Amino acid sequence: MTPESFAATRQESWRELEACVRSARRGSLRRLAASDIERFALLYRRASSDLAIALRDFPGQGVTEYLNALCARAHPLLYRGAPMRLWSLGGFFATGLPRAVRGAAPYMLASAAFLLVGALAGWITIAHRPDLGDALLPAGFSNRLNREGVHASIQAAPLLASFIIQNNVRVALVCFAGGILLGIPTAAILFLNGWTLGMLGAAVHAGGDDGAFWALIVPHGVLELSVIVIAGGTGLMIGDAILRPGLRRRSDALVEAARTAAVIASGIAALLIIAGCIEAFVTPSAMPDVGKYAVAVGTGVLLYSWLLLSGRKPRPRARLRLDASERLPAGS
Amino acid sequence: MQYDTVRVRTAENVGLGYEVAGIATRLLAFLIDLLLSGMVVFFAALAWLALTSAGGFTGGAVQAAGLIIFALVALLAFFGYFTIAEATTAGRTPGKRALGLRVIRIDGSAPTLSDALVRNLLRIVDVFVLGVGLFVMFANSRSRRLGDIAAGTMVVRERTSATALQQVVAPVIRRTPDAGPEVDGLDRLGANELVVVRTFLTRSGMEPRLRTGLAADISRRLQDRLQLAPDAPERQWPPELFLERLYLQLSDRLQGE
Repeated sequence: MTPESFAATRQESWRELEACVRSARRGSLRRLAASDIERFALLYRRASSDLAIALRDFPGQGVTEYLNALCARAHPLLYRGAPMRLWSLGGFFATGLPRAVRGAAPYMLASAAFLLVGALAGWITIAHRPDLGDALLPAGFSNRLNREGVHASIQAAPLLASFIIQNNVRVALVCFAGGILLGIPTAAILFLNGWTLGMLGAAVHAGGDDGAFWALIVPHGVLELSVIVIAGGTGLMIGDAILRPGLRRRSDALVEAARTAAVIASGIAALLIIAGCIEAFVTPSAMPDVGKYAVAVGTGVLLYSWLLLSGRKPRPRARLRLDASERLPAGS
Repeated sequence: MQYDTVRVRTAENVGLGYEVAGIATRLLAFLIDLLLSGMVVFFAALAWLALTSAGGFTGGAVQAAGLIIFALVALLAFFGYFTIAEATTAGRTPGKRALGLRVIRIDGSAPTLSDALVRNLLRIVDVFVLGVGLFVMFANSRSRRLGDIAAGTMVVRERTSATALQQVVAPVIRRTPDAGPEVDGLDRLGANELVVVRTFLTRSGMEPRLRTGLAADISRRLQDRLQLAPDAPERQWPPELFLERLYLQLSDRLQGE
């Protein structure tokens, strides 16, 4: 058999496949009828077995190259993940995301630990060197805090919100992406954020303005810190997969961890929109501190009941056995 | 030009060959996509301005919502554009399509949304941490950056020129009506030599002087490989006639029927 006779006997089905590939718009077969898709699969299998023959008999020749290119274009049309539907996003946020976060609980706890250790270190630093606190807080900070809080003008609030959201999303994404560098940048970011918070808290505590200060942090902080901790957890998860792949190949472990981590990180980052709005509109407002704490508690309860409870399988309940009593004879 | 090729074993157990995309081509595709995603932001802002000014909405609430939405659009444009474009077009963003590139998973299938998400979120590290992705790509045999490694993907060149069935041209036999007298030592040649002769005979439109020179060169080498004596009759044939006869005999012997 020569390449010409080989091509002559089969090119009809190749050309048909070629036409199918060309008509698959935006790289998808979705518009084809079911019978056409079956036909496509048949043609593809035929072409790939022809390619196997060509690779053996006519290496490095035009037919082989042609068949290779044809199969390479047809292959991803047939082999692909399930198509994503927009409404599946609802299910993802309702159950998928909380389940994924719970599944990665050890990393979330480790991430929280980094933040806490940082905060503790910051607090201890100020406790040992109170003079650092004065440098940290601008002069008269505590006076202003007591008098009127930090009332931003309401015009600036939207701008502030957009800035805060962007900044936080960036921090969250860097926390995630740092995972690929063994999670070292992630751990550093968590520790440093904790450190800053700890030093500020300690310095303010020394000035005795705790109530007013925490009222400025907590309303949005509950959401924001939780998101940062979870994003940090995804970074640590990736780093851990590289360092301790277990029985899998390192690259396989990385791919699997990264997929889960990316889904968690991008889903959870959406919460930063809410946190940013609270930070811009609620935190600086004239609302009494009690109200701000209420906002904090409210968002905290909502967030954690969602994360911890949503998407759990219902526990099998002991059924009330009404039918047993019904079956009793009427007279007894 | 020669590119690195990767063989991917498909479910049909055929080794599909892919050409690994060059780093410069990928950078160029990235720049095109970056420009397009920037335009998305620009037109989103323009549309918002037009909408609010035309409708006469100037209230604080509308402005506030606008600013927040705009910030999100700007942020999402960078990641969202790449992710959504890759996931919905089976790995061919407009920039990649313009340069004939495609993202595939290392098993050859199309990237899913989560694959696209991973490789594009990790772009932060690849691009902004001292361009570490570039160094990783230089070192990696398949030019994968960190995002590719974590997502299990790679970028390949898609040759659209080879997807039209025109390469299968029959060799042109003009100088001999049949295979002619048998060439001695034919079993010293194999499939590789047949490809050489075939390729020469299928090539049309060569400058005559060049063609004669090339034919002489090829036939001398093949005659040496056949271990023909210096005074063998085959050496006296015109080179092109020799190649045509050799082709007919060799293809008959190697490919049967």
